[in-house]
Amino acid sequence: MRTVRAYLRSRGRLPASLMDRYVSVFSLLMLIAVAGQPLSGMFAGLAVPADPARMGAGVALLALTLAGFLAAARAAGPVLLPGADASWLLLSPLNRRHLLGRTARVLLGVAVVAGALLGIGLLAVLGAPDQHVWRVLGALVVGVSAAVGGMALAVLGQASQSWRFWLTGAVAVLLVLAVVAVTGRLRTVLAIAASAPLPAVTAAAAGAALLSGLLVRQAWTSLDRIPTRALMAASTRAGHVAGAAVSLDPGALTWIAEDNHWRARKLGSRRWPSLPAPFALAWQDWRRLGRRPGRLAAMAATAALPAVLAQAGGSPAALGVAVLAGALAVAAMSTSGTRRDADNPALSRLAGVGLRPALAARAALPALLSGTWAALALAGVTLTATAPWAGAGHSLAAGGLLAGGSAWWLFGPLAAPALAAGALRMARRDPIDHSMPVLDTPGGAIPTGPLFWAATGPDLALLGTLPAAAALASAPADLTSFLVAQGVASVLVLAGYLWRARAGGGKAR
Amino acid sequence: MYDSIVSVDALSVELGGNPVLRDLDLTVAPGEIVAVVGPNGSGKSTLLRCVAGLQPPTSGDVRVFGRPPADDARFWGSVALLGDEPAWYPGLTAREHLELMGAVHAQARMTVDAALELFALEERADAPPLNLSTGQRQRLSLAATLLRPSTLLLLDEPERGLDTAFRAALAGLLDEYAGEGGTVLMATHDQDLAAIGRQVSPSGVSA
Repeated sequence: MRTVRAYLRSRGRLPASLMDRYVSVFSLLMLIAVAGQPLSGMFAGLAVPADPARMGAGVALLALTLAGFLAAARAAGPVLLPGADASWLLLSPLNRRHLLGRTARVLLGVAVVAGALLGIGLLAVLGAPDQHVWRVLGALVVGVSAAVGGMALAVLGQASQSWRFWLTGAVAVLLVLAVVAVTGRLRTVLAIAASAPLPAVTAAAAGAALLSGLLVRQAWTSLDRIPTRALMAASTRAGHVAGAAVSLDPGALTWIAEDNHWRARKLGSRRWPSLPAPFALAWQDWRRLGRRPGRLAAMAATAALPAVLAQAGGSPAALGVAVLAGALAVAAMSTSGTRRDADNPALSRLAGVGLRPALAARAALPALLSGTWAALALAGVTLTATAPWAGAGHSLAAGGLLAGGSAWWLFGPLAAPALAAGALRMARRDPIDHSMPVLDTPGGAIPTGPLFWAATGPDLALLGTLPAAAALASAPADLTSFLVAQGVASVLVLAGYLWRARAGGGKAR
Repeated sequence: MYDSIVSVDALSVELGGNPVLRDLDLTVAPGEIVAVVGPNGSGKSTLLRCVAGLQPPTSGDVRVFGRPPADDARFWGSVALLGDEPAWYPGLTAREHLELMGAVHAQARMTVDAALELFALEERADAPPLNLSTGQRQRLSLAATLLRPSTLLLLDEPERGLDTAFRAALAGLLDEYAGEGGTVLMATHDQDLAAIGRQVSPSGVSA
């Protein structure tokens, strides 16, 4: 394996020179010098007893984050190889564990970084009333063990079906833990955990590290047994991801996933409803959504996240971003017809429906979904603030919403047209323009093409939801003027977008 | 009213500095079938794209129904274009794509059941289009194009992926369309299909 790697290196890029190594070390030292002070300040800030009423929501967010990490690891592979290695080396008689060793080390690095962040989150939730250094170390060890153990479980899941079952079980347990924690039923357990004596913290950290170590050992020995077809599939998927992210359009990724989903399904044709032409065209998105009830349920479940965030002590600004960005994401998931016609207008030309009537009809579903989602999310936040188990622990943001009365949910339906306009603009944006200038900043080069691409759509949604954003940030006592302004802004933004919409390329699609 | 459905006058197109079409004249009368023939790279598809208004000419004039072609609902209400394979809508079956096409047009030329039978897609009606073979997907594209009402059909190599038997059936379907008063302008490499209409070559009238 070493011989092969050495040969490939000799044919590839030049080895790192002394100057390259000097620059790397210097950059690392600079990073430590710059980030050291804020980091130590942050840890010092965490060295206080945590608010017991916020612990439940905080643990729920951590459990959801870890569940998301495990799900992402499983979706990625996680063991994969660069396209060329997958094509040439994987099918050769080389030692499989040596071939995959480099990937394993990268996965370990990713898990350690994610685990450290998880540990800091754990410390922020449970606090450090005494013995700061040891509690910080304990939280970091538990966080890193959880992430590394989870990654090892994902690797084992790639090698065998039974381990895959355990991985699914772990994700399910984390989701249940999140639900139980957010309802406040774990308050006593968490209070005990937060004030646990040092020997108990040491024992928990040691136990987590031991379990994680065993899983890593098992995963390392299983590298030999991962089926080639699983590695090939993961590597091909990663190749698509890299290609789509670097050279083409991240939107291409969603088409790959979407097409694969429908290819594997057995469908039954149903009659098309008798509707006016633009609505008959737009019905495709309704039918597609009706055929994915799981996605619809997941969408509805995520409406509880802003309430969890508020309970965990999220700032009003964070709460506003969570509600509006979440509603925009929900709206964007129901614009597949618009996206497909923007990418390839052959079917829309055959349909012969005007662009503006088609867009107006296609705005109905994203408006309905985003409006309902935002209304549920805001109602959840206000309900959480008044719930008996929330006690005095609801956040400043939820408290602010409480002061505004129970009319907050109205921002959902009133912001819906603007969110739908933003989602349609996202669906019709051009691919990333890589010819746009690259800004040289002290922090590194920033390509403006992806930035402009990412901002196309959210910009319009933000413009149309400014009154709601302002209300969420300032939490006024009287909402009437904000609600009226939101209704007017939404209608103006959607009407303006439809009026300016035109066929073909161009930035103002 | 207009005497010609398509009128092309001294059309020249350059792509990337390469002349693709030079001083082309073409008139297509109502109810006529015109087959554009010629080797690869002779400008057949480019001519069709110019007529569909998707390729601006370098010089010359193109008129469809007496006015320049425009990429809008009014134009596509009368013109049906079949080019490369369309991007199928996610989550719909082959039958539902045809149902959708019938639902957005007030007067469909045939029922969905008739189209499925005519294009031999009955057994695969419940499959997502991406699960069909290349030839079946081309038949589905043709079914969607011929199911909807139109006055002008623009077909770019409609024989692509089709078996010999169905190519012969397609010739009959196009004849029938022209018999109902429709006009067909198609680019093709299939001699039998081209033989049902007047043949022209982008470099000059060949037959």
